[in-house]
Parts: sequence; C-alpha cells; structure tokens
Amino acid sequence: MTASPETIDQICKLLEPFNSTGKALTSDTEISADLNIDSVAVMDFVMEVEDHFDIEIPLNVVSETHSISDLAAVVDARVKKA
Amino acid sequence: MTAKAAKQDVEAVVAELARTPRSNRDLEQKLAGFKTIAEGLDYAARGLTGFNFYSAKGVLSHVLTFAELRSRALATARKLVSAGLKRGDRVAVIAETGPEFMAVFFGCQYAGLVPCPMPYTMYIGGRDAYVERVTGMLRAAAACAVVTSSDLEGHILAGAAGAGVETVLTHEALQALPESLVKLEAFGPDDVAYIQYSSGSTSEPKGVLITQKAIMANTQGILRDGLRVTKSDRAFSWLPLYHDMGLVGFCLAPMMGQVSVDYISTPSFARRPALWLRLMSENRSTVSYSPSFGYDLAARRINGEAVTLDLSNWRAAGIGGDMVRADVLKQFGDTLSVSGFDQNAFMPSYGMAESTLAVSFSDVSQPIRIDTIDKLTFKLSGRAVPALETQDKDAVRSFVVCGKPLPGHEMVVRDEMGSVLRDREIGHIFVKGPSLMSGYYHNVKATDAVIAADGFLATGDMGYLLDGEIVITGRAKDLILHNGRNIWPQDIEWAAEQVEPLKSGDVAAFAVEGDDGEDDVVVLVQCRVTTDAEIEKLRREVSAVVHHSAGVECAVVLVPPKSLPFTSSGKLSRAGAKQKYVSGGLIEITQRASQAAEFLAAAQ
Repeated sequence: MTASPETIDQICKLLEPFNSTGKALTSDTEISADLNIDSVAVMDFVMEVEDHFDIEIPLNVVSETHSISDLAAVVDARVKKA
Repeated sequence: MTAKAAKQDVEAVVAELARTPRSNRDLEQKLAGFKTIAEGLDYAARGLTGFNFYSAKGVLSHVLTFAELRSRALATARKLVSAGLKRGDRVAVIAETGPEFMAVFFGCQYAGLVPCPMPYTMYIGGRDAYVERVTGMLRAAAACAVVTSSDLEGHILAGAAGAGVETVLTHEALQALPESLVKLEAFGPDDVAYIQYSSGSTSEPKGVLITQKAIMANTQGILRDGLRVTKSDRAFSWLPLYHDMGLVGFCLAPMMGQVSVDYISTPSFARRPALWLRLMSENRSTVSYSPSFGYDLAARRINGEAVTLDLSNWRAAGIGGDMVRADVLKQFGDTLSVSGFDQNAFMPSYGMAESTLAVSFSDVSQPIRIDTIDKLTFKLSGRAVPALETQDKDAVRSFVVCGKPLPGHEMVVRDEMGSVLRDREIGHIFVKGPSLMSGYYHNVKATDAVIAADGFLATGDMGYLLDGEIVITGRAKDLILHNGRNIWPQDIEWAAEQVEPLKSGDVAAFAVEGDDGEDDVVVLVQCRVTTDAEIEKLRREVSAVVHHSAGVECAVVLVPPKSLPFTSSGKLSRAGAKQKYVSGGLIEITQRASQAAEFLAAAQ
C-alpha cells in the first residue's frame, strides 16, 4: 500500500502543530516515537485527520499505524472506500 | 426531499431514539441494598430508566433501558451456556462502551460466569504491546473465553493464542448462537461477581476478585452515603468500563440506584473533550466524575463555547483516580462559571480497585477543603504542619482533603514500623471494610503482600488524617501516574531493555514531579555506544518502545555504563537511581561531553 504525496503533505501539515521537537516531518517520521507526543494528543491529531478527510479510522487500525506514510496509506484507502 | 419532510424524518428518528427518563415515576427508588447484581437489575428493569450511548460526534446512537438490558442479558446468558461455558468459568470481554459489552457483563451474572472486563488499544502503533497485555491478562484470570468486537478480533486472537485460550467470540458470533434451554442459575449472595484488572504490571497483571457482597456494600456506600442520590439525578460518563471508576461508579452503581446514565466512549472524550460538557448541558446531568486531567483537558478545549452551556444542574463533580489538583479545579471552575457551574460541586474522593472502587468521599454538600502545609517540615520530618499565611508560596504545599471513609469502613495511617499515627503525621494508608476484594485471583502471594491477617489492605499510598478525613500526599510504591492511568516502571524498563544493545539492568524508569505537580517520566539508559549517530538511534528507539508500550511521553536520559546503582541483592535500585539523578549525580552523556568540551576550552 503506497500513499499519495498529497496525502502525506496534508498529514504533515495537520501534524505540525503537535510537533514540539522542531524535527522536520517526512513520510518516514514515526508519529508517536519520533515526536514525543502523548497518547491524548495523538488522539486529538487522529481526530483532526478524520475531520479533514471526512473518514473514520478505527482504533485497531490506529494501533497498527506507525509512520506518517502508514497513516497516509490508511487515509487513502478509506477515502477511496467512501 | 423537502425541508419539511426532512425535518419530520429527523423528528421520527428522535422519537424512536428517545433517551431514557431521569427517574421512574411509578417505581420506588432503592439505593442498592440488593443481594446480587442480578437482583439489582431485576428491580431496575421494572422501571423506565437505563443507559444511553452517544457517538463520537455527540449523536444519540443506542438506548438501552434496564428492562431491555435485562432481557438481552438473559438471552446472552443462554448463548454463553451454548458456547460450552460452565458455572464459575472466567469470561474476558473487551469493555468497549456500548450495549454489547453490557449484555455480556450482565449475561454472565445470570449464567453464573465471572466476567473480566478488558481494555482496548488506543495508542498509535500500540498493537504489539496490546497483544502482549491481553495475553498476560487472560493468563492471570485463567480465562476460558474472550468476547470482542470484530474490529479487535485479530489482536485478540493473537493475545489469546499466547495464553492458550481457544474460545474467541465476536459479539456477532456469540449472538448468533442458540439460546440454551437449561435452567439459568444466577450468582447468589455468597458468590463472586467479577474480576477487575487494575493492578499489577503488564508483565505480571493481577485480577482483583470482587464478590457480590463487596459490590453490594460499595455501591450502597456510593449511592446512599457518598453521592446521596435522589430521583432528580442523571449521570454522565466517558470513563472506560474496564476501569473501576467507570465500571463500578458509572455502570453498576447507577444501575443499583435505577439512575439513567448517558455515555460517550473514552476515545470520543479524548478526541473531543468539550463533548463531555456539551452533552452534560443538553441532558442537564447532575453527577459526573473524572481524574484531574480530564477537567484540565475540558477546560482548555471549551474555548468560547462555555457561555452557551448550562452546567447549573451539575451538583457532584467528582475527582478520583489521581492526585486531586486544586489548581486544575480552580481553572475549570473559573472557565466554566459562565455556564453556571458551581465550584462547590467539586467532590474529591479516594479509592482503588482493591476496595471495589470507593473508600472515601468528601461531603457532597460542602466546598472542597484545601490543607496548606509547610513544605520543609513535610519533606524533612514527615509532618503536615499548617503553613503560616505570611509564608512564601514556594515554601508551602497544598493538598486537597478527600473525605471520611464510607460507613462500615476504617482507614488508618501507620509508620514504617506499623504503629498507628496521629492526625497530621504522614505515613502509609491502610483500609478495611466490606468493600475489600477477596484477593487477587489465583495469586495468594500477591494477596498476602497487601492484605494482612488483621484484614487491613495496604493501599500503597501515603498521606495523613485530618479530623477523620484523609489527605493523600503521594505513593509509597514506584507507580507512575499519568493522565489518571497507573504505569508500572517495570513495564517501561522491560520494554526498553528489548532495544539493541541494551541488557537487563540497563534501564531505570521513574517519575519526577514536574512544576505543575504532575508526574514527568524519566528513563535512564546506560549507553555503551559512542558515535553521535548510534547515540541518537538508541535514544529514538527507547523513546519509541516506551511510547508503544506505555503511551507516555518521557525524557530519555543516556548515562554512562555501570552508573546505575544496584541493591545489595544485585537488583536495580530504582529509588537509588532517581535519588542520584535528582541530586545531579547522573548526567546525560552528551551533556557531559559538552561540559567537558567547555571545560577544556576554558582551560586553554
């Protein structure tokens, strides 16, 4: 499953406000590990993604998502399904 | 479709899905006093009240009157028997907030099966840690079956395989089974009721075994003595139903008092904290609970919306599950006063799963009481001496008073030698009474470690008494508290030690109190790699596993090899490591290097 560059870009934009590390966001960035975001903030970010793309991402899928490109692939698959 | 037709459509849906009423006009309200959970549900089913579930967007999605819950539970009980389960068998069930979980939990009560509510995963990238946790929990309860939503089936199958549990059923598969025609035998007054996971680390979870007698005693204390519930009450909860505060406080207790509850799920709250307050306003809710962090989150997210809300009916705003923070409550009260929120509604309380849920409540009719003491005598001599009004705020420490124990329960504070201490002397808190667990399931050693022959439970918390009310000052054990969750440092250490090239004993995790009074997690890691790239790779990997296993942000501090202190028996001394770190005896290696460079530069 590969993600579109547009989706990756958009997710980076949505994630930037949660990124307090100053590290540049790329498709390989691991969302929780690299950015030191706590679990509540991650939920908040996932909601932003859901609202922006008008999709729902179940928690079991969230639990299998690590990097920005993982998340972008999930988004693309769900946008397509909808 | 015309606008009018659309409006009628909406009205039709609303009419069909009307939430349950606040109270039963034709059924006398009984505040517990039943003999079993099943008997309590039999009674509540005679009225019109019940549970209402709202979606993540705040739309009413399911209404489950106690009458419907009872009939679904009875049918589910027969299906569980059809699944081959025998009286006394443990049935693990993923406690997602919804009618399906309720049907299984109460179904078990009618079938004489022991339900074990289990958590779901909420962390990004948290699958593997969750699967491992599931395995540990199933083992601890010697579970015979697991019931899960279809979403989580893959995770649960993996966790169950690790524990050798063969029966994994989705709710759909369970409900598709035929209803066995055997005569159902509900749990009796002397039987067990359920297993609560709330204690112990992931690597060694413990199941708190709660009896029918304990849950009867505790729910009566909550309804009658703590909250003093009446027919004008309506409860609201976003608390997880696998946690004692969610399960006992906002499912079992309201049912025992025939009180309607409106729910959003915990993930819905985490995503939209303001939804909690908006729906409480809509439903004119009177009772709701949260750890301090929930009030903090909601106050920060409500923004300009506060003025549109009516929270004037909220008479019991309970706080439990973590250290009650006076500053957070004040901030919440100030922000929400425009909604008619009454600061006197705050109700600090104290409890733990080992005591079913509640131990003490502050007086619901009184404002919160804050005890401000001298910081130096608190730290040096273990006494809580009232501060002078003239003292600087850095020299004092404020604690919230958490009330008197429930009737029939005792609370004492003892010193290290076991002698009972007087008011304002800080020591270990012990509780005793009819709400105590019968023990950790199949774990005599762990049970004996906390319940002594005199029947007192060692809570693991430190504090002092003040005119019979308890003040919690901290913990005796190493437990880390984060956003109302208990995190065991062993779990963090074990996870971090899996990172190459770390070995057992290379990691020490603990909490230090941050400026805001919250726990900040520090992970000390003995670092044997030398290049900058390797050092940063190690830091990143440790940070990653801590996130995946504990869902918490942490400061990873890389320290030199052989710098962590050990006890005489060769075990890592967590307290020693923390002491050394706090006192500046352990410094991040990259910092040491830069200090050395500066020193050399200065010397040249």
